[in-house]
Amino acid sequence: MTASTLEKQPAPRASGAAFILKKATISALVALVLFSLMIGVRTEAGPQGGLIYWTRFGDLAAIVAAVFGGSIVVELLRQWWGPADRVRVVPPVVQNALSLAGRLLAPALLIFTFLVPVIFYDQRYILDLAILVLTYVMLGWGLNVVVGLAGLLDLGYVAFYAVGAYSYALLATNFGLSFWVCLPLAGILAAFWGVLLGFPVLRLRGDYLAIVTLAFGEIIRLVIINWQSLTGGPNGISGIPRPTLFGIPLTPGEDGLAARLGIEFSPTHRIVFLFYLILALALLTNWVTIRLRRLPIGRAWEALREDEVACRALGINTTTTKLTAFATGAMFGGFAGAFFATRQGFISPESFTFQESALVLAIVVLGGMGSQLGVALAALAMIGGFELFRGLDQYRMLVFGIAMVLLMIWRPRGLIGHRAPTVYLERNQAISSDLVKEGHG
Amino acid sequence: MTPPLLAIRGLRAAYGKIEALKGVDIEINAGEIVALIGANGAGKSTLMMTIFGKPRARAGRIEFDGDDITGVPTHQIARLRIAQSPEGRRIFPRMSVAENLQMGADVTECSEAERAAVLERVFALFPRLKERINQRGGTLSGGEQQMLAIGRALMSRPRLLMLDEPSLGLAPLIARQIFDAIRTLNRQDGLTVLIVEQNANHALKLAHRGYVMVNGLITLSGTGSELLQRPEIRAAYLEGGRRG
Repeated sequence: MTASTLEKQPAPRASGAAFILKKATISALVALVLFSLMIGVRTEAGPQGGLIYWTRFGDLAAIVAAVFGGSIVVELLRQWWGPADRVRVVPPVVQNALSLAGRLLAPALLIFTFLVPVIFYDQRYILDLAILVLTYVMLGWGLNVVVGLAGLLDLGYVAFYAVGAYSYALLATNFGLSFWVCLPLAGILAAFWGVLLGFPVLRLRGDYLAIVTLAFGEIIRLVIINWQSLTGGPNGISGIPRPTLFGIPLTPGEDGLAARLGIEFSPTHRIVFLFYLILALALLTNWVTIRLRRLPIGRAWEALREDEVACRALGINTTTTKLTAFATGAMFGGFAGAFFATRQGFISPESFTFQESALVLAIVVLGGMGSQLGVALAALAMIGGFELFRGLDQYRMLVFGIAMVLLMIWRPRGLIGHRAPTVYLERNQAISSDLVKEGHG
Repeated sequence: MTPPLLAIRGLRAAYGKIEALKGVDIEINAGEIVALIGANGAGKSTLMMTIFGKPRARAGRIEFDGDDITGVPTHQIARLRIAQSPEGRRIFPRMSVAENLQMGADVTECSEAERAAVLERVFALFPRLKERINQRGGTLSGGEQQMLAIGRALMSRPRLLMLDEPSLGLAPLIARQIFDAIRTLNRQDGLTVLIVEQNANHALKLAHRGYVMVNGLITLSGTGSELLQRPEIRAAYLEGGRRG
């Protein structure tokens, strides 16, 4: 059809080396004029009160060169990764290299993650940070089921994190149950609360759903604060048992793992164990999500995000679809919560404020809703970035805000905005999200 | 005489206090194409939705293949193999064409071979869908999206296919392709079709029988060609009331 060939022609716009060089030369000339007096000539009051001056052509040349080079870089970036509605003119070589890098990114990241305790064995700080990042990766993947796949905006995800953490803490301290017994229980309890939240919000969408889930998160936190006899109120619960390797504690004592293996005890063993524990939990979340996406229930979640009326016309039970999404997401939140409790050994309501929900939601949105790799990258950038910019003190949040605004301008659908189809009939081809506007035909 | 595939008797439905259906009687026999025409707000789409249980019928009876389905929950209607292509197409824009089609097949249990057979049938009817199988639904043109919506409905191997305004917003040529496909489905596969249309001329030429709906009531019925000859139909729906 003629219509389709017309659509494919990119809008004509200036590009190519000549254009870039011209633009850079103009910028450099402007810089030369501007800075020739400001930098090139330096004046000062002399010892006799008269004006003396001397020239600094070296500095001037450096600045003009910097403008020239910078202008080329900016123009290239603008043409290759301009705002989302622009036509891209990335050369094929760069495109191929990028797509290869994109394919290798996930496996490379996974291998690197496995090796983190080996590489950074002596650096306790990095190990702790890695555990924190992985906790948020897991929370992000859990919330991704609800927000990214099913499209239900949940601002109270921290409630399930709290339910999981308190489930483990209370079961372990009161009944002496081990971590491995409590972990599934914490998940089940959180899933139960997920369904409980799901029922009243079945008919809500968008803003209204966000408000109710926000309130739900606060209710859970306030109940924890005020139910002093059970939860210890604001004092929290301390002395939560550390996890064991299937019954073998990681302690310096006689029956500890180190003694049994005949190696010298080191507190790092426990950290490394916790690292692999959260890595396993996060990978479980990821694996389950990827599997579910290929099943009818996962497809139904995504269809629900796209169009609820069409779902009903196709005979999808929207009630159970929504409830399973809430329950699945909540369950992973509960697992993460139980892990958090056993890692810290102490929990209090302060750890489960709205800020946590917002942070996890930001991770999901920045990563690209529905994209597993994107969520992992966003968690790394958000949590890792927070630590990286610690030196900037009060400017940290400012840097962060600017970075977020820029990201939303350049990649409005998040770091990884395209979604890979799960049903293939012939060749496999991902269609960039940039070609489709949200919710329109 | 065999009982009709779908029989609606005295059906009433309302949105709050506004009554949209005021006692509708319709019969659809197996193997027929039945057109339901009427002006905006006559209740045509409401009738289709009420068959699907949303909004619920306030009074009356809906029988499918002799069974009362009036109170059956929405998500179970599709399991009876009544398929619907809703108004405005409503495909899933971020999902691929293949996934959209698969969504139609997910609800009814069918073997892999049956699924592949229906898929081949859909591709035979709408070759464009096969060309665009791995594209996102949202990148398709309006006509292709309508083809996809019908194809998705066909994936559940329906006994009754209900189409709500399949020609909405389409160029006449594309609309004719869609109507041709519906005719082919009816002739070759014996599919029973209920088609709700504003485009009375096309719909009545295609249909064996037609019903005219005004303000929530059926005011006229007859064969397609009969209705096309009626002066009041010509005046109201075909010549845009230019004579009056």
